[in-house]
Amino acid sequence: MSENESNNQAFNRRDFLKGGSVATMMTMLGGVELFAQTNTPPAGETKPAAVKMKVAVIGLGAWGREIINTLATVPEADLAAICDTYAASLKRIASAAPGAAQVADYKAILENKDIKALVIATPSPSHKEIALAALKAGKHVYCEAPIANSIEDAKEIALAAKAAKRSVFQSGLQMRSDPERRFLLPFIRSGALGKNVMARAQWHKKTTWRSTSPNSEREKALNWRLDKTTSLGLLGEIGIHQFDQSAWFINALPVAATAWGSIQLWNDGRDVADTVQAVLEFPQGVRMTYDATLANSFDGEYEMIYGSDAAIMMRVREEGPDRESKAWMFKEVDSPLLGWEVYASKVQFYKETGIALVADASKPPKTDEKGQPIPEVPRTPLFCALQNFLRNSTDLDAAAEDYKASYGADDVDGLLESLAKVPRRASAGYLEGYQAVVIAATANEAAARGSRIELKPELYELK
Amino acid sequence: MKKLKNQLLIAAILTFGVVASTSSPGADQMTTFTARSGSKMRLEGTSNIHDWQVESPFIGGMLEAGPNFPTAPDQAVTPGKVEAKADVFIQVRSLKSIEKDGRPYSDAMDTIMNEEKLKAKEYPRIIYHLTDLVLKETPKSKDAPYVFDTKGELALAGVTNKISMTVNVTPLGDADKKIKISGTTSVKMTDFKIEPPAPKIALGFIKTGDDVKVIFDWMLAPKKAAAGAK
Repeated sequence: MSENESNNQAFNRRDFLKGGSVATMMTMLGGVELFAQTNTPPAGETKPAAVKMKVAVIGLGAWGREIINTLATVPEADLAAICDTYAASLKRIASAAPGAAQVADYKAILENKDIKALVIATPSPSHKEIALAALKAGKHVYCEAPIANSIEDAKEIALAAKAAKRSVFQSGLQMRSDPERRFLLPFIRSGALGKNVMARAQWHKKTTWRSTSPNSEREKALNWRLDKTTSLGLLGEIGIHQFDQSAWFINALPVAATAWGSIQLWNDGRDVADTVQAVLEFPQGVRMTYDATLANSFDGEYEMIYGSDAAIMMRVREEGPDRESKAWMFKEVDSPLLGWEVYASKVQFYKETGIALVADASKPPKTDEKGQPIPEVPRTPLFCALQNFLRNSTDLDAAAEDYKASYGADDVDGLLESLAKVPRRASAGYLEGYQAVVIAATANEAAARGSRIELKPELYELK
Repeated sequence: MKKLKNQLLIAAILTFGVVASTSSPGADQMTTFTARSGSKMRLEGTSNIHDWQVESPFIGGMLEAGPNFPTAPDQAVTPGKVEAKADVFIQVRSLKSIEKDGRPYSDAMDTIMNEEKLKAKEYPRIIYHLTDLVLKETPKSKDAPYVFDTKGELALAGVTNKISMTVNVTPLGDADKKIKISGTTSVKMTDFKIEPPAPKIALGFIKTGDDVKVIFDWMLAPKKAAAGAK
């Protein structure tokens, strides 16, 4: 097939291999597509615009910049201000945030009555000061994970968020908002994997984590992650997401943590480990083993959960236009047959056959009138988390206004009771953010001490 | 002369005062009720794929009713016309689609319903205005509600229609003297010039049914006296 011909096919070979849907399989067998799905609304009807909320991003490092680039694709986002203490960081990202005010002091954002929501992506030690001030100012807050470097600080933030009933507080555990993971949750919890056996996760990426700057003061500030007084290291910055995911799927919180850390490659004066291992003990003998390293890239990042009937591997593709999360199921030879798996697409991993688990598997990609696929905004986990944050914030503000318009402003208790009932779209709130810090900070402490640390249930409670 | 003028002035004021107070005998017996939390508005509809339901917890507005309106349980009232007026509103943006178990259903459906069909930007409220209230019969038992026939006007998406329905009034007899007004009625989308939504899906369309069932519980309580009033 010539290049031109293959490009003109509505489903080209690359799409077919990555797809795994019933529709693509039928096409392969000679089936005819019956739909004429177009994205253009019928004549006379315009697609209503999303309700926008003015939002600011505080902290313009690598992840802050990623947040800004993602917000540019979120229809609900009206990026009104970007903030960093370092002027060069503001300049660097300014072109991705046209129309946003450039601000050096976050307090200016708190005083701006038009900006209702903000995202905190500063170095972890500074989350507490900004989050507490933002909640006091009545803003909706999305605070990156770990929300704090210590359990005490995380508790302070979480309790403030709990008390701020008119504000949305979302912690940056973005995988909790991912539609693929939420699709898997009931599937896994329904017992489709059999009895829970164990879990595993890894994060391997050969990279220094060190940034350089001609300004030595700036260099020290930039490398906060390499100093043990300002960083929870790989376990707290990276592992925290994977620990949270495992606990979510196992549906329990760890009762003990053991961990190790050492510098295997980057001997450059840092005192934060570049290679870590951890074991989290869950109830009923289920354990999660974890390893992360900055010294080797093999097999990247994924989470696995093992059951007596099947195992599931979950990945997020980091690069490329298809940066959405994927999952595959690997069945034991003696496990019961699930009817639909006969039709599902399968992918080879080493010697194992993985069955692709895809949310919306039978939904074909949107095509225009000519049958060409319409490129869609990649719904990455971060996109979903930020969109849910803004939608939840808009809904909460609207509910407060509607309550006052309908029932008057006198009954504050009634108002807060009503706000507590406003449903929240999938996200990690202050409790999840706090519990994740409990796990990660304890694991980090266990590595420092060289011993197992127990995690009592009271530690996870917010009192 | 001045004294006579004053006497005439005083006589005129007294006369006017007497006439004024006798011209509206029921005015001081009208009770005003304002909306309270605990209300619920529910819409139920159909489609060729599945039934759907929408809810809002906000029904605002007020009711002014004359002396023959029950404000306490087991109150003796005579059937017949009751002097009353009511203005009710529902914030369109608070209408949210839900699953049968109450969990949120779909942002996309909410956007089509509120922004597109109900035209929330132009008409942020659904408005009902009561014009006629008639008590059908005295309740058979102490706990039975008072059943009224109502006539009124319903305005949404810029279109107003007359609407008649039966409502049940239940005074709760609690400390706040709350009353609950409940009712069920049916409306057609096309009566309000709304084309039932037919969004495209993978293989064809979802065709929404024209008939929508409206079910409401409206909580009210007598208006609180303003601070400093006698």
